[in-house]
Amino acid sequence: MTSRNSFWASSKENHRRRIWVWIVSIMVQLMSYVGMLTVYLSRIRLSYSDGAYRTYEEYISALCQGTKDALAFQDNLAVVLGGLSVMIGMHGFSYLYDKRKVDMYHSVPVNKNKRFAVVYVNGLIIYLTSTLVSILLGVIVAWLQHAMDAEVLAVVGLGFLWNLLFFLVIYHTVILAVMVTGNRFITLCVAGGLVVYESGAYFLVNAMQYAFFETVSGFYVTHNPKLSVFNDYFSNIWQLKMAEDVQSAARIVLPYCGKWFILALVILAVAWVCYGRRPSEAAGKAIAFSKLEPVFKVIAVIPIGIGLGMWVHSAAYGSMALTAVSMIGSGVIACGFIEVIYDFDIKSLFKHLVSSGVAVAAIAVIFLAFKFDLTGYDKYIPDVDELDSIALSVDYYGQFWDENFQYVGNAEFSEEHMFLKDVEPVLALAAKSQKEQAEDMDDRRIVNVLYRLKSGRRVGRRFNVDFSNPANEELMNRIVGTREYKEGTYQIMTDEASYAQALGITYNNGATNLAIPVEDALKLREAYLKDMEELDFSLITGKRPCGQIKVKLPIWVNDSLDVYDSFENTIAYLQSKEAFYPVELNPEDIADITVTNYHNELNEVISGDVSETGMAYVDTREAMAVNADYSYSDEHIVTKTFLEEEEFAQITKVIYPAYMSSDWNDHRELDDNYDIYITFKKDTSYPYDRSNFGVYYKFYTGQAPAFVVEGTALGADGQ
Amino acid sequence: MIEIHNLTKSFEKIKAVDEVSVTIRDNTVFGLIGTNGAGKSTVLRMVAGVLKPDDGTVAVDSLPVYDNVEAKKKLFFIADEPYFFANANAQTMERYYSGVYEGFDKDEFYRYLESFNLDKRRKIGTFSKGMKKQLALLLGICAHTKYLLCDETFDGLDPVMRQGIKSIFAKEMDERGLTPVIASHNLRELEDICDHVGLLHKGGVLLSKDLEDMKCNIQKVQCVFSTVDDELKALNGVEVLKKEQRGSLRTFTVRGTREEITARFATVDTVFYEVLPLSLEEIFISETEVVGYDIKKLILG
Repeated sequence: MTSRNSFWASSKENHRRRIWVWIVSIMVQLMSYVGMLTVYLSRIRLSYSDGAYRTYEEYISALCQGTKDALAFQDNLAVVLGGLSVMIGMHGFSYLYDKRKVDMYHSVPVNKNKRFAVVYVNGLIIYLTSTLVSILLGVIVAWLQHAMDAEVLAVVGLGFLWNLLFFLVIYHTVILAVMVTGNRFITLCVAGGLVVYESGAYFLVNAMQYAFFETVSGFYVTHNPKLSVFNDYFSNIWQLKMAEDVQSAARIVLPYCGKWFILALVILAVAWVCYGRRPSEAAGKAIAFSKLEPVFKVIAVIPIGIGLGMWVHSAAYGSMALTAVSMIGSGVIACGFIEVIYDFDIKSLFKHLVSSGVAVAAIAVIFLAFKFDLTGYDKYIPDVDELDSIALSVDYYGQFWDENFQYVGNAEFSEEHMFLKDVEPVLALAAKSQKEQAEDMDDRRIVNVLYRLKSGRRVGRRFNVDFSNPANEELMNRIVGTREYKEGTYQIMTDEASYAQALGITYNNGATNLAIPVEDALKLREAYLKDMEELDFSLITGKRPCGQIKVKLPIWVNDSLDVYDSFENTIAYLQSKEAFYPVELNPEDIADITVTNYHNELNEVISGDVSETGMAYVDTREAMAVNADYSYSDEHIVTKTFLEEEEFAQITKVIYPAYMSSDWNDHRELDDNYDIYITFKKDTSYPYDRSNFGVYYKFYTGQAPAFVVEGTALGADGQ
Repeated sequence: MIEIHNLTKSFEKIKAVDEVSVTIRDNTVFGLIGTNGAGKSTVLRMVAGVLKPDDGTVAVDSLPVYDNVEAKKKLFFIADEPYFFANANAQTMERYYSGVYEGFDKDEFYRYLESFNLDKRRKIGTFSKGMKKQLALLLGICAHTKYLLCDETFDGLDPVMRQGIKSIFAKEMDERGLTPVIASHNLRELEDICDHVGLLHKGGVLLSKDLEDMKCNIQKVQCVFSTVDDELKALNGVEVLKKEQRGSLRTFTVRGTREEITARFATVDTVFYEVLPLSLEEIFISETEVVGYDIKKLILG
């Protein structure tokens, strides 16, 4: 038997006054779940009737996916749940805002903890009943439309758990915000602040690091919010949608649910303690605990000041004076504004100057710490003794994949596979970079490094290396020439299994693609690995590949392996398969060569002249207009076709395939001023690619033959 | 018995209640009087367990009241602006309070509602201020708690209602030992109801006495003495609180019982003398003037 004053009797009584919250909750949930499900399934049905699906099974699979998207992992549900938790949480404890209500509720003989529990549990019941009813209806609708099976039901159950724990964290955060505040507006501000503060802080720190530091790098080490459920939710929702089965989804969901559960419990515990200590006279005030007023002010003002300051920093093209003034100024204004909000009185603008001073001083200290690098961020280079290993990546983008042929990022791959033990050359380059000015470097390359310290700490940094500086060659050789570097840069080094599954192999010398038997993939790999032993920085920057092997792997991967003249084993293998052709073309095979000279030197000269006038930004079009001799048009582009074999002989000696890329020395060796288009005769010694009737080449820088230069000079074509 | 000892409460930098010590005896009607801002509501809210004292103690039948359900079961607090649920009627409120107070007497409540012509189904939002106060009082009375704390509840009630409530108080005090504690800023509102009065001023207790004691121990005497010696003889050893003179007619407010004063004046030669009853107002004026306050400015205004 239930006594009149029992928990459930109190709960029932409390529910009577929260009927409208339940009604709103169920309407919102019905629209979110059942409404969205109906929309999704209708779209899929329409697509089916338009013939978008090849088979009925494919159509049913799409319907099931639609059900999962609507009832389990819906990207906009986070916003709906956030709104619901605010409504339910605030309404439940809103009596704390009103002195009259507090007088009544706190004078009646009801245990304070029981009242908390009743209101809390009732909020949860409102959410659970409205969600379960909506999901149940959704499941029935999906089942009637053949969009439901056991697997989908399991995913929907998993989605329910995911969304429930997300709701709990926000719900508890809102309750905590109610406990420390005295009116709705401030509760919303504090709840919003609690939810986004960590993400905002990370954002601002990141923005300041990029604005003030040279060596900041998010390549290997990214600092993501640890406690932001919104960040967790949105950064995983697409993976959850794409999850192939319930097990894959569970692998993502369950760790987060565990984390969120603990987070929710901690927040609830803090909220409960605050509830117990909350003075009744806090009703109607801004902050319930007067000791928290300066604390909240300081922690709110710092990001406001810094955020506005950084906004000015970007708007004012990095002006430090304006940044500093705007940070301090907005901090001062924010302090006054918060005091006005606390007291609802404009006269309070200059109240509590001590806490205002602390907030503004904190902003100033943070600005100075970043501006003058007081923490030594940019100067940081670990000691050799501190380091366990280093992973390093030059700013190129390779293609990497995992055992399922899913995309793996450059950083992720090298982080997992590169463990440089000879760390001294990396540290020496980092130290050199600190002494050199980036703008003085002829061939500046950005190097991202991951320092793995023996303490277990991981530090990511970046620095510049001038590839054109011979002094760096030895150091770079000591890095690039190591097996550790190659294992973290070239997947072929360690991944035999993938090459065993190759679907096709071709060799390309810029003018032709030749197939190699796919069953020989591992033999080719073996030969290539032997040649890789000699690969170092001098080779890959000093020479251009003479060809490239393309390996087509399952799904999407096309691994590209550069072949150099010195790769004897690989070339011998290719020759044994009659698949090797030199990069230099046979002049006898050529029908004609068309050279286009863009005369880029004109733009450079004009830009240079205008720059001297002090214009910060030079638009080529404006520059051409300034120069009276030229206007912006194609008039300065000169094209000439060469037809003589003697000319072909000279040209083919100094050209290189335009699309045979080489990340390491593209910048220095090929002349972008010219495009060379070659067409071949019908009967040639090599099977040249004629799919596009010709191929493109570039001159090596400064090596265009004199007759080409003259023949494509301005006015040479009679213009 | 409610024992209030050295009760202190500040709101930010303002001391609302400063070391108040009062004892409220059972089965009496205790009036807490004071100007606006004197600290009456704060004291009552602390007695009701709504506010936590900064210092001092409140014990209801020896139980500390703050955060103590057992102590709160013994009292019902009617705030100066009683709260009723949105869209509620008398029945709704009865349902709530009968769930909270074990001794709530529903039958009695509905009987009283009828007697006071309050419609149990009518939304309380449509009630007049006086009707809301009546409803709050009836809910408080029917909760059958030992102590009923009323903050400005009687202010504004019409005389008929006051008389009705007074009768109910008398009945409940007689039947189950109800102890109403009534805070008011108007002395005249309490005169015919209270047995004991505590006067609060600027957060402290200026005076706390039984009305009967006060009435019995202060007398107003009008007289005409035959000679000056008679006057000196009559007043010798008598504490004179106030003295007025119009021609030969003297009016004294003196401390002492009616019998003592009558006996004293009978021994001297007077042309005429009469011992008159004092109103509560006059008693307060006399008592507070003794301690240096002008009560007219404080509460009679």
